[in-house]
Amino acid sequence: MGDMMNDNKITLKIDGKTCQAQEGEYILNVARANGIFIPAICYLTRCSPTLACRICLVEADGKRVYSCNTKAKDGMEVTVSNQEILEERRAIMEVYDVNHPLQCGVCDQSGSCELQNYTLELGVDSQSYTIADTARETANWSSVLHYDPALCIVCERCVTVCKDMMGDNALGTTPRGGSELNKELKDSMPKDAYAMWNKLQKSVIAPSNDTGSTNCSDCGECIAVCPTGALVSRDFEYTSNAWELKRTPATCAHCSSGCQIYYETKPTSISDRSEKIYRVTNEWNYVSLCGAGRFGYDFENRTAVKNEEAFGNAIEAFKAAKAIRFNSVITNEEALMLQTLKEELGVKLINPDAKAFQEFLNSYSAASGKTLWNGDYKEMMKNSDFIISVGSALRHDNPNVRYVFNNIQKMNKGAGLYFHPVGDSLIAGLGKNVACIEHKVNREEAVLYWILDRFANKDKLPAEISEYLASFHTKTAKTISETVMEDVKETVVDDESGESKEVVKKIPKTIQKEIEVDSSALLEAFDAPADFEDLVEKFLAKKESFALVVGEDMYFHPQADNLAKLVALIENTTEFKVSIVPPKTNSLGVALICDLDDDASGYTIGYNEAGDFRLSALGDGDLDMPALNQQEGTLTNMHKKVVPTNAALSYGGYELNDIMNALLLGKRLTIDWTKELPSKKGFQAVEFDSLPNRYTNDGVEHRGYMLESQKTKITVSMPDKMTANDMSGDIAYRCNPQRQFNEFTAKAHQIFEPFALYVSPAKAETLGKKAAFDINGKEFVLDVVIDEKMSGEIVKLPDFKHSSEIYAFFGKNRFKPITLRKV
Amino acid sequence: MHEEIIHTDNTPKEKQNYVMLKLGRTPAYGWPAFKQVAKRAVSGELLVGLWITLKEMVKTLFMGGKHTTMYPFEKMPIAPRYRAIHNMLRLLESGHYRCIGCGLCEKICISNCIAMETRYDENQRKEVSEYTINFGRCIYCGYCAEVCPELAIVHGGRYETASEQRASFSLFDDMLTPIDMLKQQQEFAGFGSVTPNADAAIKKTPLAY
Amino acid sequence: MDALVVGTIIKIVLVLLIVSALAGFGTYIERKVLAFMQRRLGPAHVGPFGLLQIAADGIKLFTKEDIIPQHANKFIFSLAPVITAATAFIALSAVPLFPTFVIPESLPLIGGAIVPSIIADVNIGVLFVLGMMAAGLYGPLLAGMAQANKWGILGSARTAVQFLSYEVVTGLSVLAPIMVVGSLSLLDFNNAQTGGVGSWLIWQQPIAFILFLIAGFAETNRTPFDLLEHEAEIISGYVTEYSGLRWGMFFIGEYANMFTISILAAVIFCGGYGDIGFVPGWLALLLKVTFFFFLMLWVRASWPHIRPDQLMWLCWKVLMPLAVINIVITGIVVMI
Repeated sequence: MGDMMNDNKITLKIDGKTCQAQEGEYILNVARANGIFIPAICYLTRCSPTLACRICLVEADGKRVYSCNTKAKDGMEVTVSNQEILEERRAIMEVYDVNHPLQCGVCDQSGSCELQNYTLELGVDSQSYTIADTARETANWSSVLHYDPALCIVCERCVTVCKDMMGDNALGTTPRGGSELNKELKDSMPKDAYAMWNKLQKSVIAPSNDTGSTNCSDCGECIAVCPTGALVSRDFEYTSNAWELKRTPATCAHCSSGCQIYYETKPTSISDRSEKIYRVTNEWNYVSLCGAGRFGYDFENRTAVKNEEAFGNAIEAFKAAKAIRFNSVITNEEALMLQTLKEELGVKLINPDAKAFQEFLNSYSAASGKTLWNGDYKEMMKNSDFIISVGSALRHDNPNVRYVFNNIQKMNKGAGLYFHPVGDSLIAGLGKNVACIEHKVNREEAVLYWILDRFANKDKLPAEISEYLASFHTKTAKTISETVMEDVKETVVDDESGESKEVVKKIPKTIQKEIEVDSSALLEAFDAPADFEDLVEKFLAKKESFALVVGEDMYFHPQADNLAKLVALIENTTEFKVSIVPPKTNSLGVALICDLDDDASGYTIGYNEAGDFRLSALGDGDLDMPALNQQEGTLTNMHKKVVPTNAALSYGGYELNDIMNALLLGKRLTIDWTKELPSKKGFQAVEFDSLPNRYTNDGVEHRGYMLESQKTKITVSMPDKMTANDMSGDIAYRCNPQRQFNEFTAKAHQIFEPFALYVSPAKAETLGKKAAFDINGKEFVLDVVIDEKMSGEIVKLPDFKHSSEIYAFFGKNRFKPITLRKV
Repeated sequence: MHEEIIHTDNTPKEKQNYVMLKLGRTPAYGWPAFKQVAKRAVSGELLVGLWITLKEMVKTLFMGGKHTTMYPFEKMPIAPRYRAIHNMLRLLESGHYRCIGCGLCEKICISNCIAMETRYDENQRKEVSEYTINFGRCIYCGYCAEVCPELAIVHGGRYETASEQRASFSLFDDMLTPIDMLKQQQEFAGFGSVTPNADAAIKKTPLAY
Repeated sequence: MDALVVGTIIKIVLVLLIVSALAGFGTYIERKVLAFMQRRLGPAHVGPFGLLQIAADGIKLFTKEDIIPQHANKFIFSLAPVITAATAFIALSAVPLFPTFVIPESLPLIGGAIVPSIIADVNIGVLFVLGMMAAGLYGPLLAGMAQANKWGILGSARTAVQFLSYEVVTGLSVLAPIMVVGSLSLLDFNNAQTGGVGSWLIWQQPIAFILFLIAGFAETNRTPFDLLEHEAEIISGYVTEYSGLRWGMFFIGEYANMFTISILAAVIFCGGYGDIGFVPGWLALLLKVTFFFFLMLWVRASWPHIRPDQLMWLCWKVLMPLAVINIVITGIVVMI
């Protein structure tokens, strides 16, 4: 793929500047990458062009084109502005300013408003157009979204991003009920401005489901992309001007996607001058956040102080400890400190999520000969047109994987297969070429074998596997009806000449035909629909680049070891780019750095987890620790990158490094550990302060560094045969609701998805309002929350709270039979 | 020595009455220097100075030439453009405070002494829930009043700001026109406005010799 | 006890008290006079006509925190103001202030005491007074050097330069009157001019008088020669680090010196405490001293101060040659 791309380099001239570009790139993106400014309002880099604003008008080879949807051609000459285009643009901006409220003083967007900027940029100092205004009422679309249609310029960026990136499809346009334009204007005003105005005057944004509320995942990306103050967060509204906020580039702490974010801080109030995070913003052209990243920012350990007594107790606890229990919401540096403790003090390290992932990765490495997978999400998003997701609750586990899955459907004319025991109507609705296959639990082996069977290069496949795969196939004869065209000869007499002529006519004819049908028992093993093979055939038409995403279900699986081998085999024998999604924020980092143990007994220190002595960044432990928005460090994300995060807020208490220092194992600063990260695992010996954390205009991500995949010895060769591990009765699936990932998101005040049982509407009818179940003799009574996008009988039980009990209950499987009682 | 005055663009075009004194060069050494010293010592230039001060003293003592204002008991009227402790004005019709919480004063403040809190209020408007000026830092430059789009913050005439704290703060309500004083609320006359009795107030000062 | 001893003690006490108080009163007068000359009022609020301002300032001085800089030489730092004040008062001991008189017998305890016109009538009076005032140079010099402050050092340097230079002019200018009178005792000077205004030495020695006056201004650190502590250039010179009572002692010393110079000018050149017509001698002396004191303030209000290089130029190139010429001419005249 990479080689192919290099061949497609083209050269064009924009305003006389010679620019290199990929073939197929839009002129606008080429210009941006080369530092040439073309005004554009409605275009979003990774989404389809909307053509709402028409302001990106340029002249290419003498023709007027829209730079956001015109692909660059070799040798093209582009002129960004001429007199005519400037008049168009100015007219467009004048039209946008018609009836736009002038109270910029009270608008949240003031200062970072694209309408302000372009009005100034294009020198709009007088208004040529008027029209009667329409009364438009503000509305709250959800618990986080506030929409003021008076400020909206209907650029439809929110609609576009919601459809092309998030996949929620929650927004659309609706008639505005505005006055008709004066027809005379059509001749008197610039053409594009008139067309834009005509469209603008007819529509306004509204939730696409006509209920007045979006009923979406509340990711807030529409707020981020809104160029004006029309869409704002209800919590942030009118609390601060953009210019008062200090932006700290950081990395989101909630899932393994590790998105780049900016924490925007300002003093809490006049009486309390300590900094507070007011909102989180992102480089929305290059990275999309989920609701947890955008709204789950106030999880800091605010009240922490240096409690010397507690610190003394902590040192004693560490000296006495037999084990440390922690989770993966920590930095690489902290993981390395814990590993150092293990090496120096001999404590055991217990981390259920990272342990399962580590074992999976180890099995994968043993079979594939390298430590890391070959897939890359950025590349997938750009190039892949066929994606398969196995073993991941795509809507919940990792929002960015879902965005990739969706973006492939929308932007690459792609197709997708989603294999999961729990049905999901949102995923099914991401595109017309998406199929959701609800298989029985623990049938992921069958899916992977099917992928091998269908896509593997048979020459590369080991003989045993080929044989094994062949054993599933049965050939049966089947009679089908087929319509064929039959040539019929007829003699026709010409009326005028009287000559008779022979004419051949085609006449359809139905015939019965006997064909040989190849049916595979594998399809039955994962409950494929009857037309599955045809569907896949249809999906695969003209597809070139394949991606496979493997999720958490695979690591918590009775057959996890075998699944890892299968994944390795798929990677080696098919064209699939494989991605293995780490289950929690820094599971990959912890799995690489720490030498984890199975459960241990004895005196245990819990770090954000249960233990005899608790270190906690949540503020409820025996000794306070800084939360991830209060400390510097690096995280290893699912893009196989080591990315830096920064402290947005001050922290008054002790850090893990202080404890290390007291135990004579520490360094001067926590970030002094960064360059000590194990190079044997692919980390680099670089100083924390030299790690960049930004995007440039060409969309290149300058963040941290890429982990290097290490060569390992291949110790196992063949995957085992499938084993069935069916379950019966009620089945619980360990899965967090959208926007909830851990105790930190649960602490954030704008994230309120409760700790409850999430069930499909059908299942809710049998369960009622509340349900009870026992875990290790402890009774849990949870609300039953209907998840309308779910289907099937399986219930989802979150692990963002009570994680030790939940993990203990589920053990090495994400699915578990559960006895639910109605309450 | 007398050179013609060259006008630049921003100077008035009419002829100005500047007179160049023909001072010549001050001799530094030798006979000319001695001559000058001798001349100045004998000509009594020094006594002229003594005479002037003595005359002023006599005038001050016996002819009512004093210029002292007995400050705490007697105060000079201040000019309308004087910049002292700020006033927050109200709308004359409704009595509602004028401030819309746009934050421009906070932004433009060069000594960074203005802080404000705003919120989304019940009427779906931006409400200023608290506003303070740290008068320990304020340099009374007047930018806040100049930038205010609503004429909500203006400078008042309260210039006696001695306090026991180095930094004294004023909250919104301290500066806001009391509601019963709305009728007496003075509109800000604008920058460059002239004291009403400016001409009458001009007196000859000792500098005007 | 000997009446003279009692009288002398009384006089010492009186001189100490009055001159100290006069230092305060001098500041009041100075502020008032300067204010009037600048069309102001001066101190006006504390007491009638602001008279109690002296008391207020005194209280302030006495209650101020006594600060000694960390790196200062503490002993010398404390000693320097004492030197200034002490030398100023010691100098006064050889200066006649008013005619000798006897306290009426009717007063208890001290009745009958003879109060002498001079505390110590040493026969080298002039030399003693000038010597004492010259010794006063050590006050500012040591103060500036002891305080570990660059402005102080600069003040010290200027002290040394200015005082030593003008000491020469003072000495030489007084030499001529001494030659005329033939004595160093100030009483003899006084007695030599008892023949009315016409017998004042000022008429015989006008140049010596002017030179003495100019040098006197320089010796007392007055405008236009106030370079030792000129605040526009060296903060406060040698008193930069001083505050409270220590600073007050410098102040008292300076004002005492002003009185000494005024009295010397009056005694040497203007007839001393000899009666002028119906005006009794003591009043005449008081009036003359007051005039010279006023002259110092008047000059301060009128003239700008000069640069250090101009100061030196004036001393060595103008005043000193003039003084020498004056002595030579006087000597020739006396010889003839």
